[in-house]
Amino acid sequence: QVKSKIMSRESRMRATINQKLTEMGERERLKEILRARLTECGWKDQMKAHCKEVIKEKGLEHVTVDDLVVEITPKGRALVPDSVKKDLLHRIRGFLAQHAT
Amino acid sequence: MKMEDMPLSGPDNTRLEALAHDIYSELVEDACLGLCFEVHRAVKQGYFFLDETDQESMKEFEIVDQPGVDIFGQVYNQWKNKECECPNCKRLIAASRFAPHLEKCLGMGRNSSRIANRRLASSNNMSKSESDQEDNDDLNDNDWSYGAEKKTKKRKSDKSQNSPRRSKSLKHKNGELGSGVGAESYKYNYNTGISYETLGPDEVRSLLTTQCGVISEHTKKMCTRSQRCPQHTDEQRRAVRLFLLGPSAPTLPDADAVETDSFDIPDAQPLMSRLQWEDSDISPTDSASSKASTNHSDSRKPKKKKKPSLPLNSGGGGSGSGSLAGGGGSSSQSNISISTKKKRPKLSAPPISSIYDDLA
Repeated sequence: QVKSKIMSRESRMRATINQKLTEMGERERLKEILRARLTECGWKDQMKAHCKEVIKEKGLEHVTVDDLVVEITPKGRALVPDSVKKDLLHRIRGFLAQHAT
Repeated sequence: MKMEDMPLSGPDNTRLEALAHDIYSELVEDACLGLCFEVHRAVKQGYFFLDETDQESMKEFEIVDQPGVDIFGQVYNQWKNKECECPNCKRLIAASRFAPHLEKCLGMGRNSSRIANRRLASSNNMSKSESDQEDNDDLNDNDWSYGAEKKTKKRKSDKSQNSPRRSKSLKHKNGELGSGVGAESYKYNYNTGISYETLGPDEVRSLLTTQCGVISEHTKKMCTRSQRCPQHTDEQRRAVRLFLLGPSAPTLPDADAVETDSFDIPDAQPLMSRLQWEDSDISPTDSASSKASTNHSDSRKPKKKKKPSLPLNSGGGGSGSGSLAGGGGSSSQSNISISTKKKRPKLSAPPISSIYDDLA
């Protein structure tokens, strides 16, 4: 029971934080920063090249969004450079430090 | 910029840290999805593969990375040193000078007709000058002296008339000089020569100290251009002086000799300032020395730059050195001017001493 209380407290806290992130526009800002960083470091081009392979494999006419998602997302997550990851985490922590209770 | 990024510690903070990671993962996934949608749309709309062409074209326009060549494979100064043979005059001209030369050579192009007209005009109107030679001494006082304006403005127009280059260098220094004077010269000054028969000996002498004075074969008139006018050689000038004044002819102002004081001081001003553009630190010294007595040794001292002739008498030397500096212009003129310019520094010492020996 205690655990569930703690858990719900935590999930409430999370919900609050997430809400704040969105309402204050911080989420959007972070998204933009991330996208810019990924383009800068060549991640986007890398992923696009991978897409080309997938498309050539599946055929131009028949490729679906799901095909791409399934192929791209895991690889994409893995290929994010460390510097970008660190930068994002730093910003998120900063936000949490300010706005978490 | 950032301090060392430590994860949050402590029990609460582990949760926060986990939360931070979760938020991060969410953001990354969002980015990936965004990319997928973008690519999928491009595929379905047909513009995904637009930046690729066939293999052959790709090879053809590949970036070149060789030394001495730009990324397109072109050589930078391939024709820098080449010479072209002019179809008109059959001379070999440097590539970069070829177009302007053709303009002059063929008589087409904006400037060449202007030059031709000016030359015709000046040769047609030499008779107008005769009556005005008596005004030589009055040039200082009389702004409206026909002769004064003729003389100085003629020289200015000489300097600035032939090539665009010349007038450009002038314009930097003296705004109105090139174009303004050119127009004026048309109005006031149509003569290039003076008839020596109408002049008294004093007038002849003073004339010869400031002007070229070489008598033209066709017209029997004396050249009113500067002492270093490119159309006549020093030999001719010496001969004329001998002819007109006898063996005791006064100095032929040569290389860096300074003869009489400048009596055309107001007229010398613009020319002095023109000189300054060429011999900036030299001209003030020269004006001092030329205003002193006929003292050629003084004038020789400040010869720092390669311009040997520094007499500032009535701007004669000024325009002379100016016209030499102009370069360009008609080929024969420029050849002569360049060659005399080169000769002068070397010959400066011997001829001057010989001329002064005549005096003594």
